[in-house]
Amino acid sequence: MLGARAAALRPGYGFVLSRAVGPFGAFLALAFVMQLVVVPWAGPFYEKLLMDIGINCLLAVSLNLVNGFTGQFSIGHAGFMAVGGYVAGAVTYYGSFVLWGSPAVHGGFLGGGDLLFLAGCLVGGLFSAGAGYLVGLPSLRLRGDYLAIVTLGFGEILRVLLQQTNDVIFVPAQIEAATPWQMATALGGALGFSGIPFYTTVFWVFVMLGLLLIVAFRLKESSEGRAFLSIRENEIAAEAMGIDTTRYKVRAFVLAAFFAGIAGALFAHETGTTLNPRELGFQKSFDIVIMVVLGGMGSISGALVAAVLLTVLPEFLREFADWRLVIYALSLIIMMRFRPQGLFGIREIWELWRKPPGASPAGRGAS
Amino acid sequence: MTAPILDVRAISIAFGGLKAVTDFSLSLPAGALQGLIGPNGAGKTTVFNLLTGVYRPQTGEIHLDGRRVDGLKPNRIAAAGLARTFQNIRLFGDLTVLDNVRVACHVRAETGLAAAIFRTRAHYGEEAAIRERALSLLEIFGLSHRAGEYARNLPYGDQRRLEIARALATGPKVLLLDEPAAGMNPQEKRALADLIALVRRQFGLTVLLIEHDMGLVMNICEAITVIDHGVTIARGTPAEVQADPAVIEAYLGAPDEPPPASAPAPAPDSAKADP
Ligand SMILES: Nc1ncnc2c1ncn2[C@@H]1O[C@H](COP(=O)(O)OP(=O)(O)OP(=O)(O)O)[C@@H](O)[C@H]1O
Ligand SMILES: [Mg+2]
Repeated sequence: MLGARAAALRPGYGFVLSRAVGPFGAFLALAFVMQLVVVPWAGPFYEKLLMDIGINCLLAVSLNLVNGFTGQFSIGHAGFMAVGGYVAGAVTYYGSFVLWGSPAVHGGFLGGGDLLFLAGCLVGGLFSAGAGYLVGLPSLRLRGDYLAIVTLGFGEILRVLLQQTNDVIFVPAQIEAATPWQMATALGGALGFSGIPFYTTVFWVFVMLGLLLIVAFRLKESSEGRAFLSIRENEIAAEAMGIDTTRYKVRAFVLAAFFAGIAGALFAHETGTTLNPRELGFQKSFDIVIMVVLGGMGSISGALVAAVLLTVLPEFLREFADWRLVIYALSLIIMMRFRPQGLFGIREIWELWRKPPGASPAGRGAS
Repeated sequence: MTAPILDVRAISIAFGGLKAVTDFSLSLPAGALQGLIGPNGAGKTTVFNLLTGVYRPQTGEIHLDGRRVDGLKPNRIAAAGLARTFQNIRLFGDLTVLDNVRVACHVRAETGLAAAIFRTRAHYGEEAAIRERALSLLEIFGLSHRAGEYARNLPYGDQRRLEIARALATGPKVLLLDEPAAGMNPQEKRALADLIALVRRQFGLTVLLIEHDMGLVMNICEAITVIDHGVTIARGTPAEVQADPAVIEAYLGAPDEPPPASAPAPAPDSAKADP
């Protein structure tokens, strides 16, 4: 029905190539500028802060695919971060031993070590996506509250499992003798996985964030992405219009888990962070949920702004860091009362000048 | 006579002890425009919910264009060519008018997630085709000038028409309209009746219409099925049905009950009832 017209309306190759590849180039350039211009100028404190900001942006924007786009309520995002972080960490740490006999950073930009790190990010993301599929498929058939409970449970179970892992092996001779299974279960337990080489740079963080932003915006402006949004808007109507709601919820979940896994991988290889089970528990999940709720459910730019704000504030306001939980809880309550749709609502910041949502009820809330 | 495009054979459903629909049968020839009427709570919307897979029939079979569809999920039934509107409007309120229609085009889309993310040529072609199709539907329904507005901000009558435009965007063979004129004034109702006749001709549709407004139903429907308490009590041309004593009794109530103030009354609050 669409087929013939769709074929007739295909644009030229030049247009497609520039539109399809252009944004990748733009984000790559931005990442280079960040690394080569901003970082040397700003110094190590801001370098670390930029990486933290980027990682939190990855987490907030990816969770937004589930909570904002499809209107589900997942509160276990840090669990997927942990999967990605531990898998990627194991890949680079033990991989470095196997390849180069030591876990130290190996080679320069795009050298052997960097490539191993990128492979780790990819594998971590894929494992996390797999976990997302396993958690999502059964639970996304359920209504909202159940999903929240299942995702919360997933994060907690994972935390306990990671706490039970063995100490990290750091003696070369022992690693040589170890089986892959022994390595995979030697992740540091409750003490955390120490010794992972520091491969994460501002460049890589912004490359990954660029990828996610491209995916998120392209989704939002495509038929596939509108299928996600329709579920948030009215699930019964979406189904009646032919949208396979379970399938699209699972897709959102798997995509979000993939990028959370990559965020975890970046976190694991960042200086000044420890990859330990406590760090990636419910507390972290809650932080990410707050970013999405504050930024606005479905607003990519809103999630970005909230992630930046909530990363920067605690760094500069010690007071804020101490009172963080209280302030979060209070601001949530105030928001629910006065602006339940989030700071920026469900629209992108540049769409805010449009007419505000009117009082006339449509679709939503109907039985 | 050719095989019916929608063939419903004795479907039933009970909610707990309440027999909402009992042995409902219907045979819609291709191109027909028929009505389904009955007093409040008769089970009309429940029939639509059964046909579209919201509820699974406990007995009976549903065949759409020769294919058995009962037991399928709602999205599969929509893909098979059965579209509906909702009595209580269920638009995608925070999407634009254009996007409401474009969502419904998705069921006919062929490119997938990868094409959307990597922006292939096929993706651009399909997006353009979807946009074109959605805009032409909005044009027919006089909603073009509102394409960029959020659906929740539309006036009531426009929301009702957007519901129909959206249903049509799925490319249905059979269209189910659940009180499409509810809450409209007589003038709007007449315009809507013309619109239904127009799209039916233009898209070669088969239409089943639930409507409380007897004038509208009697005017445009070729045949009418009347249900009461989930049971089919009459079937025939508008004139036959109007003269049927069982129908008159169903609408006026049994002789020992106090009759309602006005005869076949359109329910003003019916728009707020369940799906
Ligand atoms: N999900 C449900 N659970 C329990 N009872 C239901 C359910 N859906 C419908 N019913 C009941 O089934 C009966 C038929 O309802 P239905 O909505 O189909 O009536 P209707 O003919 O569409 O009425 P109206 O003209 O008011 O729209 C009613 O008694 C209603 O309360
Ligand atoms: Mg009804």
